[in-house]
Amino acid sequence: MVCVVLNNGLSMLIPYVFKLILDFIEQSAPSEILFEYILLSVVLAVVAGFFSFFTRRTIIWMSRKVEYGLRGELFAHLLKLTPSFYHNHRTGDIMARATNDLEAVRMMVGPGMMHMANTIVTLAVAVPLMIILSPKLTLYALIPIMLLPPVIAKFSNRVYRRSVRIQEEFSSLTAAAQENLSGVRVIRAYGQEKAETDNFAKMSHKYLSVNMDLAKVQALFMPLVTAAAALLNLVVLYFGGLEVMAGRISIGTLVAFFAYLSMMLWPLIAMGWVISLYQRGVASLERIDEVINTKPAVGDGVTAGYNGPMKGKIEFDHLDFAYNGKKILEKINLTINPGETIGLVGPTGSGKTTLVSLLPRLFPINRGQLFIDGVDINDWNLQALRRQIGYATQEPFLFSDSVRANIAFGSDDIIESRVLASSQAAALDKDVDSFPRGYSTLIGERGITLSGGQKQRTAIARAILVEPKILILDDATSAVDTQTEDEINQRIKKVLENRTAIIISHRVSAVKDADVIIYLKDGRIVEKGSHEELMALDGYYAELYRRQLLERELEVLA
Amino acid sequence: MSAENYHQEEALGKAYDARLMKRLLTYLHPYKKQVALGVTLLLLASALQIAMVFLLKVGIDKYIASQDGPGLALIAGAFAAAILVGFFIEYAQLYLTTWLGQRVQDDLRMQIFRHVQNLHMGYFDRTPVGRIVTRLTNDVNALNEMFSSGVVTVIGDIFMLSLIVSAMLYLNWTLALITFAALPLLVGATLIFRAKVRDVYRIVRTKLAQLNAFMQEHITGMTIVQLFNREMPTFTKFDGINHDLRSAHFRSIYYYAFFFPAVEIIGAISAGLLLYYGGLKIYQSALTFGGLVAFLQLVEKFYRPIRDLSEKYNILQASMASSERIFKLLDTPPAITDQPEAMALSNVKGKIDFENVWFAYVENEWVLRDLSFSVNPGERVAIVGATGAGKTTVISLLFRFYEKQKGSIRIDGVDVAEVKINDLRSHLGLVLQDVFLFTGDFAGNVRLRNNDISDEAVRQALHRVGYDRFLQKEEKRIHTEVKERGATLSTGQKQLLSFARALAFNPQILILDEATSSIDTETEQLIQKALEELLKGRTSIIIAHRLSTIEKADKIIVLHHGQVREIGRHAELLKKRGIYFKLYEMQYKSQLPESKTETLEARTAS
Repeated sequence: MVCVVLNNGLSMLIPYVFKLILDFIEQSAPSEILFEYILLSVVLAVVAGFFSFFTRRTIIWMSRKVEYGLRGELFAHLLKLTPSFYHNHRTGDIMARATNDLEAVRMMVGPGMMHMANTIVTLAVAVPLMIILSPKLTLYALIPIMLLPPVIAKFSNRVYRRSVRIQEEFSSLTAAAQENLSGVRVIRAYGQEKAETDNFAKMSHKYLSVNMDLAKVQALFMPLVTAAAALLNLVVLYFGGLEVMAGRISIGTLVAFFAYLSMMLWPLIAMGWVISLYQRGVASLERIDEVINTKPAVGDGVTAGYNGPMKGKIEFDHLDFAYNGKKILEKINLTINPGETIGLVGPTGSGKTTLVSLLPRLFPINRGQLFIDGVDINDWNLQALRRQIGYATQEPFLFSDSVRANIAFGSDDIIESRVLASSQAAALDKDVDSFPRGYSTLIGERGITLSGGQKQRTAIARAILVEPKILILDDATSAVDTQTEDEINQRIKKVLENRTAIIISHRVSAVKDADVIIYLKDGRIVEKGSHEELMALDGYYAELYRRQLLERELEVLA
Repeated sequence: MSAENYHQEEALGKAYDARLMKRLLTYLHPYKKQVALGVTLLLLASALQIAMVFLLKVGIDKYIASQDGPGLALIAGAFAAAILVGFFIEYAQLYLTTWLGQRVQDDLRMQIFRHVQNLHMGYFDRTPVGRIVTRLTNDVNALNEMFSSGVVTVIGDIFMLSLIVSAMLYLNWTLALITFAALPLLVGATLIFRAKVRDVYRIVRTKLAQLNAFMQEHITGMTIVQLFNREMPTFTKFDGINHDLRSAHFRSIYYYAFFFPAVEIIGAISAGLLLYYGGLKIYQSALTFGGLVAFLQLVEKFYRPIRDLSEKYNILQASMASSERIFKLLDTPPAITDQPEAMALSNVKGKIDFENVWFAYVENEWVLRDLSFSVNPGERVAIVGATGAGKTTVISLLFRFYEKQKGSIRIDGVDVAEVKINDLRSHLGLVLQDVFLFTGDFAGNVRLRNNDISDEAVRQALHRVGYDRFLQKEEKRIHTEVKERGATLSTGQKQLLSFARALAFNPQILILDEATSSIDTETEQLIQKALEELLKGRTSIIIAHRLSTIEKADKIIVLHHGQVREIGRHAELLKKRGIYFKLYEMQYKSQLPESKTETLEARTAS
């Protein structure tokens, strides 16, 4: 703050020195004194510049620190939020907060504050000096110049709003191009190139027109500033001129006024800009706070709670579960003993995935209880709980990193032998060997694209590597061809020894050998038992099995 | 915002390339008049500004000094008029140049888009979609400034500078020379600053891109991060990049904090010198007070275009890098175009012949070798084979996504190479394994952008594939929203929509790449029924993965290493105990419940 005062204060003294110089010239011959005055002005400028350096360094530095801290806080919080938050907020929306909004806040605390401080100090020093020089001329000059900040603020807001429109149109244009290119086969096969081009042309023109909307306003800015500066000159020239004629001020004073006003012009424009920055910054801060203030739906049990070691006994006790007001699971009663393999079947939307996602506590339980090793799931230490559960999903998410890093994702350090063993168990090893750089091959955005089946197998390897007590395979081989699936089933048997496993599948063949098969329908367990028992029961499972069987048989005979 | 946006390629390369510049300027040709008008307006505006400075001088020297009140009012009036006129000229000029930039941008974007629509399919195999999108969007945008402020303003700046220099020399040449003396200092400081800041900004950009990509990815995969207890390590990694970014910012702040005061100090020293010598001149009556004020104002106007220089340089450099990438894309030859005497193709019956077809994506790595087979009108043919046997390639050649190297492919006896591509494709329907859905609604995904297909036709098509049960649940029926890539729809629904699409276009020949992923039995039955409806009365080629589909085919073609090895019906081929039998053993048999396979084998073997 001291820097700001000294910087601007000293700068503002320079025109005053100019006045002294000019008055001196008007009255007497040049001498050493003139030179000293000039030296003074230069020294003032140098010292002011010195402080300006520190001003910028301090305030902008601080704003970058604020940005760094706020971004860290935001991301740390995002790491705690549960899936329900991510279901309700699109990634693009969260990213907008982490990028655009964060930048708006930084602009407010950085450049915004700096320019504001500069403007205030400039005015605080210059105005009294100007009043000393000529109160009347000060009044005349300040009236028009004070109109600048509100005009610029309004203007700046309008520019901002129209820029947002442009951003939106730009996103649509990008999305349209992206979609056109991704769907290029379909578009060509159906001969839609011309129609696509016409559509894109329409969007491109739309983009042009919103840009011109902005231009209408934005093109005003420079002419406005030029005109304002000229207007000030005019005021000083005319009224100042009259004052000089009346002998009330010297020509030196007049020149000093020209200098003052031209020095005040930009700070005042900046002030208008800062007002609009502030308005945007506050709105953005609210949007960021909204995320940070969202409480994680699942309690944080990092330090507290039961740590295990887990044996793998699972008990559902009269468990109900509803999500977004929709009942998904009802009266689930189920006991799974350590080491057992459970097959979970049922139509799409019957609640299979929801049931297993309660185990790692991805969602809080509404009613009833869930015990692991006889300990209520809510009393488990969250980290310890998740460390001992391995989970592979139908549509696996992999990171743009090496195959190795993806397989070893759940472990603190990468142990090659464990990576290889897991990869073998998931029947991924042969595929990886055929990759250009083996396990170091990058996947995703900057590397190769894996097939759906390869992704699923990588996810299975990732789940196996953590050596979980409970292994969940949620339709994790749906995109794997049958031959490879058989291979996985063979190899994984060894992994499943001493582990509890829950296998969800659409293929009856995948769960047929399970110790217990559960048929889920509309969120309820309708059948439970071994393959033979369920066949004897002659219910849904038997029907499903027979249907898959009958279908094939009929077709074979046809 | 897609992840690609964060992985932008670095804007590097030469700052100026005459060849690129020349080519860029050709885009201004259609707008010669507007460019001329823009330059004229700019020249007028510059002249007016200088005129105002002289008005100020005259006002001080002639009227204030001689106590001439009415004269001063006259000058003030002229000054006010100049302000008003100047305002409108400057506004018109800025609006016009923006318009120019936007128009050229639009032209260029459409040129790229049209070009891409005709590019070889192979180009899309090699080039990530994100990169082509960047050409169309960010790269074109980078040229905007170059066209709007660049071309016109450079001419204006040069003119303005020469005006100011002349005016300064005219007022007092000694003072003018003193002012120019500060110039090398200023230019030097700017150049040093530019070089330093460019390096830091490259780091800032890279780190920011890295950070945003990291966040985007981990927000998308948050559940996995949490399931595997990776919160702490993930945060540590994030913090590392965040920290690097902050350090880079700190460095740039340092340069900025140094540069701005440096310029101010140079300005102050220059002004001090001016005043000193100006004062002397006034004393010697070689200069008037008005002259001094005018001079000071000219100095300020003199510095502005020079300070902008570094910005102009930035614009130029960015536009060179972008235009180089754009031109490279535009120079990629469009692969398959109609032959000059391409024929129309109508009344297709549906006979397909592949005769001695050879094809390789990469030279000498043949994917299809001497492939021959025929499909009769109305026949249903299943192509089977292991991965890499060339099944998908057969489709691509039929659609002319690629051009075969040797042999001939005929439809109703006409070589497809001699037919207009659009005609050819209008008789073919394609259903792919991975259904691609567009943002929009159900209807839009069925008819695509073909407005000849009415809402009624869309409803018919959806009805015939049995989509009604899904439609009933939706309030908006066929106008129900479809999100990006059909994110909210199940695999089965997507399949059915793509069937409806093919039905609506009603092609004589249908090509289907059957989906491999398993879906629940109920939906599976729905799809089988819809498939029957779709195939009714058409010639069809199916890349089959389901045993049921294969068994219903009139003919099974077994592809192995790009050659037809066996042709026949299911039972015949099984009896042969050849490749099909092996494939069947390996892949399709597991689709059957185990207990049944033995009897089947016994039956077919006997």
